[in-house]
Amino acid sequence: MPARPSPSAAPPTFDVRGLCKVYASEAGEVHALRGVDLQVAAGETLVLLGPSGSGKSTLLNILGGLDRASSGSARFKAFELTTASDAALTAYRRASVGFIFQFFNLVPSLTARENVALITEIARDPMPPEEALARVGLAKRMDHFPAQLSGGEQQRVAVARAIAKRPELLFCDEPTGSLDSESGVQVLEAIAEVTAAVGATTMIVTHNAVVAGMADRIVHFSDGAVTRLIVNSAKRPPHELAW
Amino acid sequence: MRALDLKLLRDLLRMRLQVAAIALLITCGVSVAVMAFSAQAGLKRAQSQYYAQTGFADVFAGAKRAPLAVAVSLGRIPGVVAVDARATKGGLMSLPGMLRPATATLIGLPDDPRQALNRLVLMQGRLPDANRTDEAVALKSFLDAAHVALGDRLTMVIDGRQMSFRITGSVLSPEYVYVPGPASSMPDDAHRGVFWAPRLTVEKAAGLGGSFSAVSLKLAAGSDPAPVLAAVDRALSPYGGFPAVARADQISHKFQQERIDRFGILAWVIPPIFLVVAASLVAMVLGRLVETEREQIGLLKAFGYGDFAAAAVYLKLAALIGLIGAAGGGVLGAWMARAVTQVLAQYMRFPSLHMRFSWTAFAAAALISAAAAAAGSLMAVRRAVRLSPAVAMRPPAPAVFRQGLVERLAIWRRLDQPTRMIVRNLERFPARALLTCVGLAVSLSLVVGSQFVFGSFDEILDQAYFRARHWTDFVGFAENRDVSAVASVGRMPGVIAAEPARFAAIRARANGREQRGFITGLDPAAWSTRPLDAADQVVPLKGRGVVLSSTLARRLDVQPGESVEIEIVEGRRPRVLLPITGEAQDYAGLSVYMDRHELNALMGDGDVASTALLLVAPDQRAQFYRAIERAPQIVAAESRADTVIGFRTTMMQIMSVEMSFFAAFAATIAFGVAFNVSRIALSDRARDLATLRVLGFEPFECAYILLGELGLLALLAIPLGVLGGIGLADALVASFASQELQLPMIITARSYGLSISTFLAAVALAAAMVGGRIWSLDLVAVLKTRE
Repeated sequence: MPARPSPSAAPPTFDVRGLCKVYASEAGEVHALRGVDLQVAAGETLVLLGPSGSGKSTLLNILGGLDRASSGSARFKAFELTTASDAALTAYRRASVGFIFQFFNLVPSLTARENVALITEIARDPMPPEEALARVGLAKRMDHFPAQLSGGEQQRVAVARAIAKRPELLFCDEPTGSLDSESGVQVLEAIAEVTAAVGATTMIVTHNAVVAGMADRIVHFSDGAVTRLIVNSAKRPPHELAW
Repeated sequence: MRALDLKLLRDLLRMRLQVAAIALLITCGVSVAVMAFSAQAGLKRAQSQYYAQTGFADVFAGAKRAPLAVAVSLGRIPGVVAVDARATKGGLMSLPGMLRPATATLIGLPDDPRQALNRLVLMQGRLPDANRTDEAVALKSFLDAAHVALGDRLTMVIDGRQMSFRITGSVLSPEYVYVPGPASSMPDDAHRGVFWAPRLTVEKAAGLGGSFSAVSLKLAAGSDPAPVLAAVDRALSPYGGFPAVARADQISHKFQQERIDRFGILAWVIPPIFLVVAASLVAMVLGRLVETEREQIGLLKAFGYGDFAAAAVYLKLAALIGLIGAAGGGVLGAWMARAVTQVLAQYMRFPSLHMRFSWTAFAAAALISAAAAAAGSLMAVRRAVRLSPAVAMRPPAPAVFRQGLVERLAIWRRLDQPTRMIVRNLERFPARALLTCVGLAVSLSLVVGSQFVFGSFDEILDQAYFRARHWTDFVGFAENRDVSAVASVGRMPGVIAAEPARFAAIRARANGREQRGFITGLDPAAWSTRPLDAADQVVPLKGRGVVLSSTLARRLDVQPGESVEIEIVEGRRPRVLLPITGEAQDYAGLSVYMDRHELNALMGDGDVASTALLLVAPDQRAQFYRAIERAPQIVAAESRADTVIGFRTTMMQIMSVEMSFFAAFAATIAFGVAFNVSRIALSDRARDLATLRVLGFEPFECAYILLGELGLLALLAIPLGVLGGIGLADALVASFASQELQLPMIITARSYGLSISTFLAAVALAAAMVGGRIWSLDLVAVLKTRE
């Protein structure tokens, strides 16, 4: 297990400069990102906050290799995301990125264990699916199908699935968006624990300002730009959060 | 336009690919029916018009030489309304550029052609000048095949006399649409010349002044030919009469009729299967389509539309798809019928042949398809309408999966997750998998079933001309001759071996049934022709016993050990009860085999033969043919090589056009099923697949998950489809049983290979078209959408 790198000592995992995203629509051009600059250190947990359409998800999509920037640069270590081919982006997601979705996105025909195995089978140095599930507290429900699990449990399976391959990056898009407060906190705890264990750099997009309590830094978005970047000096463990 | 109708149109546009795929299935079913029945209707009409236009006779008879007064008396037989007696004579002719001599049949033209029966249709040139003795018209099929032009001069030996004619015209004759060979019933146009010259010329050439050798009778509409046939036979028997036949047994008509009937059989067997398959697929696919629209139905109801109004949108959608498909089927079917008819026109030899659009077939097929479309959507719409709007608007609860049987197998632990997804999906939706598999299997069955005739025809040729018969050439004598004549043919240049045989027309009776056929008298140790049983073992000829072809035995309902009454309709016409000692597998014709010596004894003749069966050295054929042209006693010649070619062109080419259409449509159905099934799977799985893409799966890994199921089902469908194809071929064989040409149930490895690869190619194309969409899945959208 790699030791958690120190945020200050390591070179930035992400180096984002002048990132723009323009969508062409019938009503004209929509500027989703207007020149975002951001450096993210390895092992850091960032929470991206902002209203709908402020650009936080667009940034996450570009950094996750799901979407392309219109201009600017986004570098993961030495890998330039903005000019990479589809195949290279797929390889990047496969090797380095873990995703957690708002709506869990588990494969309904596979059990919890198999949903995790789906990813560990194609990963380079995964942990056993059983270990990943045990880490999120689902050791006893590994052979259940998604339909037999609660929403919180399903999202914890998704967390296990995301971290089982020991990703360097973990992207969470509204991970608690469709959960009640109690389940949401459990999921955040799972995220915090396992990312600490695997040393992943974590970026969480959310509407929920409470979630920002667990961040190392909080990035405020508005109208396609970063408006404030706050270092969270009062970082709290998720079990102290509530909404 | 009402909002709902607008929605309907938009939906139609939005789902245009799926709509097209469903409509394609309907188009297949409808067009196959339209093609088969339109071509069939065109053939029937062309035939009846031709016969009416030319005054085609109802009864045909012949004699060696009968006075014209007898013809007048034939006209007094009750039911007879017209008599046409003519002089005809046959011989051989050599043709420039052709190795083998052709047979020539010379027929007298009546003085007033308008009064005649079996009138000629002049296609080109003019009729011969009645005052000239060196002009004749000839059958168009012969002129075309032998490359003889109008104005050419041809020389033939008729009755030992050399004659020469300038060809003034090319004609069609209803009596000689097909001119069968002496030893096989297969046409061989280039070697079968039929000529018409002025009456006096022919009478003189044939030595038939004041007499006739062929007569045709027209009967009053609706009169029974049987008593007329008997009366004609009685009247002609003192003059060496040949048995009279009704139109149904006239050899050219019969041959043509069998082919038209074969078309009818195909029309009744294959299109209904297509239609049923297409209709059930449409019902299934449309049902699934409506299911995906469940939320919309709930929405309409929530807006206050009644159940009926909400349902009506989708019924209209189904009806529209049905209509588009049916209209396409009508147009495509008409086009194909025209294409088939154009090919047929080359072989069927009617003065004019046009396809006749079968509105009945179109209407029936369209109705069945529309009903299937409506039924399929109705079930799904009813399910959706029964739900409360709130429930309908929610997506259907995610499918609940549980551990199935396969999980208990040891192999389960070795499967990777994508494969497990495939297997679980099959387990979870067995009915859907079964329907898909059956749909694919049926389409493969149709390919196999329509390919089978080709293998079947090859087997007929191989059995008849290479395993059961070993002669390369056949010559026929004008009359039965002593076997020494065969020996002298055997001494001709190039002849390696010669064997005598005797052919005669017969009527066979048993169990109150009668069949016309031929008896072949063979020497017991013959090498040239050997009746074979179903296992390809030689069936020996024993004493006075006869060996029956299996078709004849079946039609008379007799088997070895029983007896059959044989009447030989020539000479003194013996009628005897003979023991059946064996059964021969003979695909073409109703044949009887017997020891030639016993046959001669029956006829009260000495050691005679009507033909010589020969093995001729391939490199000396030319010398051999020149020799037989100079032998006046030889009036008929046939070669195996030409007969085989004739068989291929006349039998196979015609059916192959239609069969190719069937095979193409079967492949289209496979495509339609595969496309629709994978398209539906894609809409079911798009979210899962996009998720996997986000998680780093390669597009082809996702394609495996999406299409692996289809591939597995397609593989499972292969054995089922092959079994179905065998069943379909069996059904076709059974429905051809009434015909003289029996199709053996043979499906060659090549047929299987071709069918299965066609099938797999169609499935692969559909899979590729749907699978390609994985590359363009919207990965961003999936992050935000719930299931």
